[in-house]
Amino acid sequence: MRLFVRAVALVAAALVVGYGFFVLDQEQQVEWLGVVAVAFFLLVLALWPSFPAGGGNSFERSLTRTASVVFAVFVLVSVQLVHLQVVDADEIGSRTMPTAEGTVMDPRQAIVSARVARGRILAAGGEPIADTVINPDGTWRREYGDPAATYLAGFYSPLAYGLSGLEQTYNAYLRGEEGGNPFTEWLDGILHRERRGYDLELSIDLDLQRRAHELLGDQSGAVVLMDAKTGAVLAMAGSPTYDPARLYTNAGPDSDAQIQAAEAYWAELTQPGSSALLTRPTQGLYAPGSVFKTVTAAAAIETGVAAPDTVYRDEGALTVDGRVIPEENRPDPNRVSYTLDEAYAWSLNVVYAQVGLQLGAERLKQYATRFGFEQEIPFDLPVAVSQISQDEGFLNNRAALADTAFGQGQLFVTPLQMALVADAVANGGEMMRPYLVQRVSTYDGKTLQTRSPEVWKRAISEDTAAVLRDMMVHSVQNGWASDAAIPGYLVGGKTGTAEAGGGEPHGWFIGFAGKQEPEYVVAVIVEHGGVGGTSALPIGREMLRAALERSGE
Amino acid sequence: MLAALRRFRFTEFQLLVVPSLMAIVGLLTIFLTRTGTVEWTWRDIWVSLAYVAMLIGISAWLSISGFKGDQVLFPIVAMLAGLGLLMTQRLQPVLEARGAAWARLPERQLIYLAMGLVLFWGMMTFVRQLDWLRRYKYTWAFAGVLLMVITFMFGQEINGARQWLDLGIVTIQPDEIVKLILVVFLAAYLDDHRAAINTVWRVGPLNLPPIPYLLPMVLMWLIAVGTVVLQNNLGSALLFFGIFLVMLYVATGRTLYVVVGSASFAAAVYVAYQLFGRIADRVQNWINPWVDPWGTGLQPIQSDYAMAAGGLFGTGLGHGYPQFIPVVETDYIFAVIGEELGLLGTIGVLCLYLLLIGRGYLIALRAEDGFARLLATGLTTIIALQTLIIVGGVVRLIPLTGVTLPFISAGGSSLLANFIIVALLLRTSDPEWRRG
Repeated sequence: MRLFVRAVALVAAALVVGYGFFVLDQEQQVEWLGVVAVAFFLLVLALWPSFPAGGGNSFERSLTRTASVVFAVFVLVSVQLVHLQVVDADEIGSRTMPTAEGTVMDPRQAIVSARVARGRILAAGGEPIADTVINPDGTWRREYGDPAATYLAGFYSPLAYGLSGLEQTYNAYLRGEEGGNPFTEWLDGILHRERRGYDLELSIDLDLQRRAHELLGDQSGAVVLMDAKTGAVLAMAGSPTYDPARLYTNAGPDSDAQIQAAEAYWAELTQPGSSALLTRPTQGLYAPGSVFKTVTAAAAIETGVAAPDTVYRDEGALTVDGRVIPEENRPDPNRVSYTLDEAYAWSLNVVYAQVGLQLGAERLKQYATRFGFEQEIPFDLPVAVSQISQDEGFLNNRAALADTAFGQGQLFVTPLQMALVADAVANGGEMMRPYLVQRVSTYDGKTLQTRSPEVWKRAISEDTAAVLRDMMVHSVQNGWASDAAIPGYLVGGKTGTAEAGGGEPHGWFIGFAGKQEPEYVVAVIVEHGGVGGTSALPIGREMLRAALERSGE
Repeated sequence: MLAALRRFRFTEFQLLVVPSLMAIVGLLTIFLTRTGTVEWTWRDIWVSLAYVAMLIGISAWLSISGFKGDQVLFPIVAMLAGLGLLMTQRLQPVLEARGAAWARLPERQLIYLAMGLVLFWGMMTFVRQLDWLRRYKYTWAFAGVLLMVITFMFGQEINGARQWLDLGIVTIQPDEIVKLILVVFLAAYLDDHRAAINTVWRVGPLNLPPIPYLLPMVLMWLIAVGTVVLQNNLGSALLFFGIFLVMLYVATGRTLYVVVGSASFAAAVYVAYQLFGRIADRVQNWINPWVDPWGTGLQPIQSDYAMAAGGLFGTGLGHGYPQFIPVVETDYIFAVIGEELGLLGTIGVLCLYLLLIGRGYLIALRAEDGFARLLATGLTTIIALQTLIIVGGVVRLIPLTGVTLPFISAGGSSLLANFIIVALLLRTSDPEWRRG
């Protein structure tokens, strides 16, 4: 019995400590102390010495008990050491806090970073985006390549602003601490051997990336071009952006000048109204406008609410609960009957409002979620979560539901999210897991890891995807997206024009293209660019064309 | 000849191989890391060679003099003190960079260590009986109180706590002597009044402890709280009161005394926390040092960084960055061990303390005389509490309070006092003295 109680107390103590290790955050010190206190009582219960009746004198009993309590406290101090030195060590070491007197950070990070020559970040084919140059004295410095892509690498500024982008997410790889043979990495670490970080080769095609920036010009916006079958991101452009070379700092004789320059540039970048530090393709959130009709149509077809040939009436306006939804997109003002397919091609808001009302809030939400809304898309760069509505219960209002169904309401989406919607249609209903880093290698080129394409999740059935694919193709053959056509290729697309509080609306385009099958998908947004068909669509078409020509077909 | 061989302390001699190797290899590592070469001569590590020679000398002397006490205690202490020696040698460049006043600290520490070992040897050689300790208990108590009063009146304030006495040539920390006196006095006093344990003193419906227990309890409470308030020294107060509670509990077997005692002490500390900002700072740093990252929070934040940088295996001796932690050589020496020797090192050090403490309590259990039992219990408890208070503070399980890490932290008074503790424990473990 006694033994049973001890065993249970010991297991309970271990469970409580495990909870503290793996559930609590590093900042939750008070909760953690509570965990330690509970573990202490359980441990004392488990260790409390028992004496046979009349065994031992009073002195022996009390001394043994004292010793057991002392032992329990030693065990808990050891538990705390495991916590600090192993379980939470990475979190503690990377914790920083910007203050008026400078950023509080572990000074070791900068020293170690300066010592280990960091790996390079390369575009597909090997051209450096962020290069590593070894100085004559054995130290190293970063040099940056084409500014059209350097912001994807992120900034490396351990002495001032820390790390961002791939520099941050792949820090351990770039430092050569992870990604290769764990044993030799460990051995190199404890023996303080000279080592070099690993190189990252991206899936980014520099020509396509430059083309994206050319097409965007000085407009604000974003372009995402992906391989439909693999999820490899071939171009990912955002504008305006920043120059990581001007934020670069590293320990060395120039570090003071670098920090000063970085501080001046940082002040510029963080001025009110400036959003250059935002990685628009993955972190920019925009109203989607009509491109969201793809999700509504998918939900309607898959749930059987409507088929492509289901006929809807569109008399130029629709009143839902007192709110008038005007129709501005009809190709012929005298025609009032349209199939779902035609309504997609001509982007009829009144029809999609009706489809949304037929679906209801639950099913619309469910399908948006299946396409990846309200979740963090697994990716190599930090992503913002696309949302179907801001307020809980917003969609329970019929007018709001109708608005959402054709892409307004409180929808906010990232360009990457919309590229994945196009990918689901182009790729038989499955969304590939998007990626930027396709290969990790040693500095002398030996491959350590190669990315193999993975399916992120299935959004819709293969049949629904096939139906939607035809609808998107029809939209290009005979609809508002007809300018997207590329002679000799299969092209599908959808334009969007999203009201964006004040000023011109945002122009959107999502689409795919290929020889016989969709091979590439694209999502383009031009902020305040006006109608999607004239602002975003040409960029999308040219990106698809460039991708198709690149592959030599 | 055969008799001499039988007297030879073989276990102790064998165990001393470990601290000897650690001292030599450790110092060599530190030296080679600092110079960045692989060239060295024996002169570069003379410090460790001298230390090893002293260890062997003392062990040999104990064998020759026919001492039959515990053979494990001394090697454990040699290990801990050797580690302390390595740490001060390791910190030499850091201390030099801090200024001339600090530059000589490693040398001074070396002298203290030598003095400690000589004192240990002297006590083992010349102090054969411990009855005199018991006989003059009130003299000790008086001397202790006097020492505290003098410290309070003429003491020097360093880092906000008034706990140093400047004697011209050296600065001593009277608390280190007071803790010893406290244990000796309590052991003698509690043993003398053993008979009164089962009497109860009734005041109306209350069962009060008998006067011989009540009186010192109140007195000790006052002294401990006074230490907190007047000296601003929460660490020593915790230590004193903790020693008292453990000894009272072991002598009487009454859990109630411990509960009432610690509850009332906690209440008093809580009141002090509300009244004095200095204690509030410590609590702040314990819960969240990031509130004031450049001020009071700097030390704990840098200590956390160092611990985390160490990981499982540590960076290796000489490869860490102790210069980032302010006042690293005393309060935060454990963080340096954490960074350079890793989790394996810190747990290893804790295991050494646990072995030492376990051995000490075993000596107490085996002692046959009541005074000796309580003395050994109290002396061992000093080491246990001091270790837990400072290590618990550094790893932020409790608020940091300034006591030294036994045998490892820099500081002469502390080192000498700890060697006296070991000498007394060894003497208590001696079967011949037990019979006498």
